[in-house]
Amino acid sequence: MIRMVGTYLKRIYSAFATNVFDVPPRLLSLLFFMLLLFLPVAKLELHILRVITIAFIFSIFAASWDLLVGRAGQVSLGHALFFGIGAYLSAFLSKFHGFPLWATFPLSMLFCALVAVLLGFPCLRVTGPYLTLVTMAFPLILSVGLFALEPPFGGEGGIALPPRLLPIEDLYQQRIAEYYLILFLLFVSGVVLYKLANSKTGIVLVSILDNEMASKASGINITKYKLLAWAVSALFASLAGCLYAHYIQTTPPGIVLGLTTSFYPVIMTILGGIGTIYGPIVGAFTLWSLNEVFEFTEELRSILYIAIIIIFVLKWPKGIAKFVVEKLDELTEKRELNDKKK
Amino acid sequence: MPLFEVEDLTKCFGGLTAVNKVSFQVNEGDIIGLIGPNGAGKTTLFNLITGFLKPDSGTVRFKGEEITGLEPHKIVNKGIARTFQVVRPFRHLPAIANVMVACLSPRAKKKLEWLKSPERKALDMLELVGLSEMMMEPAENLAHGDLKRLEMARALATEPELLLLDEPFSGLNPIETDFLTKSIQRLHLDGYTMIIVEHKLHALMKFVKRVIVLHYGEKIAEGSPKEVSQNEKVIEVYMGRKT
Repeated sequence: MIRMVGTYLKRIYSAFATNVFDVPPRLLSLLFFMLLLFLPVAKLELHILRVITIAFIFSIFAASWDLLVGRAGQVSLGHALFFGIGAYLSAFLSKFHGFPLWATFPLSMLFCALVAVLLGFPCLRVTGPYLTLVTMAFPLILSVGLFALEPPFGGEGGIALPPRLLPIEDLYQQRIAEYYLILFLLFVSGVVLYKLANSKTGIVLVSILDNEMASKASGINITKYKLLAWAVSALFASLAGCLYAHYIQTTPPGIVLGLTTSFYPVIMTILGGIGTIYGPIVGAFTLWSLNEVFEFTEELRSILYIAIIIIFVLKWPKGIAKFVVEKLDELTEKRELNDKKK
Repeated sequence: MPLFEVEDLTKCFGGLTAVNKVSFQVNEGDIIGLIGPNGAGKTTLFNLITGFLKPDSGTVRFKGEEITGLEPHKIVNKGIARTFQVVRPFRHLPAIANVMVACLSPRAKKKLEWLKSPERKALDMLELVGLSEMMMEPAENLAHGDLKRLEMARALATEPELLLLDEPFSGLNPIETDFLTKSIQRLHLDGYTMIIVEHKLHALMKFVKRVIVLHYGEKIAEGSPKEVSQNEKVIEVYMGRKT
């Protein structure tokens, strides 16, 4: 019985995959977003809603890292710099200068892109492991600087913000509204990053990852393209930072500029599948759900979830998302072959 | 005025002078062989011309304009393209995307025919070198001979006026060599100016009008293949001293 249902489902899927949606990743992403769209209907607990929303924020962050590393090959371990600057600048502008929220987001995003380009000029003189080490230093330096400031501007707690990303009276209603707002932003940034990664510019970025010398010999100004990747990546990383600051209502430099924040996108991207853009989103959700599943045992939590990540990475070194997509492709191909035989 | 001119080009690596005061001229439509034993400085000379290395002294002129020490991508966009001795494909990209990268360089974009997409042009280039059947195959799955042709297609896609081929025949079987010889002859008829590095004179004899011989970084002979093969210095370099 179960086998029958299984084969039936497989058939339905492959009919869809070959005839309706040509590209499995696109179909899967669509289903995924549909699911997320209707999730709040299930009257989730506030806590779960919050976890999912933060997973959205980190999905944007990890996807921006993937564009930089999976496409352009610029391994950065200091991506928290843009996250943190975004968070701080947006909080600072809205709290002390009375900017409306919707204005602080694009301002801090553009500022981060500018910072990325300015830092890019000296940084891009080095490549490989040296670049990674250089990038790691920046957020640490900045966080030390912010720690030294007096409390309203810095200090351990960062800038405390009013509890309003969206001005709605009822707390639950507000959380739901924020959920949809951030889901929408995740969708938009996911589509933009995916389109960019698979555009002609994306091809040039992969060529730089594969062989810089050959890209140069093809007449490509690799510095320009690298800076572009840095700028776009910083733009979306800082969007994630802005959202995070206003969602958790504070900007502790130890977190928004911390090493952990720099490493999150790395883990998420590798877990989900590097160079795919949708991979990091899968990775972010996996990581956050694992984090929640092991909520019950505070002491063993990190050990358990790191153990599971190691198993995942060993079993599917290309990443969960890539593995699933490849499997589905295989299924479709097999069915096509069978059809031909008949 | 010659199309391309190298004057007193010198490059030292520490105590070793890899290229020592080399000068030569190339006229439009020329096809020139650059030969010499291993370590003679042929590839270094190519790297100096194409900007991958900066010369210590001397000048490189292209169409009357000095291009010494410019960045590689700028030189490509002036119209000098090269291939590499060791193939350098973009391994993750399919063959057609490998060529697309070159089609997206500023020069290729500017010279793109009206209503023609870079994709179409990349496919045309693959057809030119006989690789169009492999267009969707990732470069890492291609055989060595195919990669050599891919390299050539990529160089051609940048719309060069001067084409520098670094050992295009190395590692090819006789059939592939034959095919490549024909392609090069066709390109010559199409009006491309070429400099071909090779350490075997034999492979070049058929279609090269003029040969430059390098030895320990110095130009020791220049002339038609016949003259060069009878030149005593060249014989000495290749065969050893007469006793």
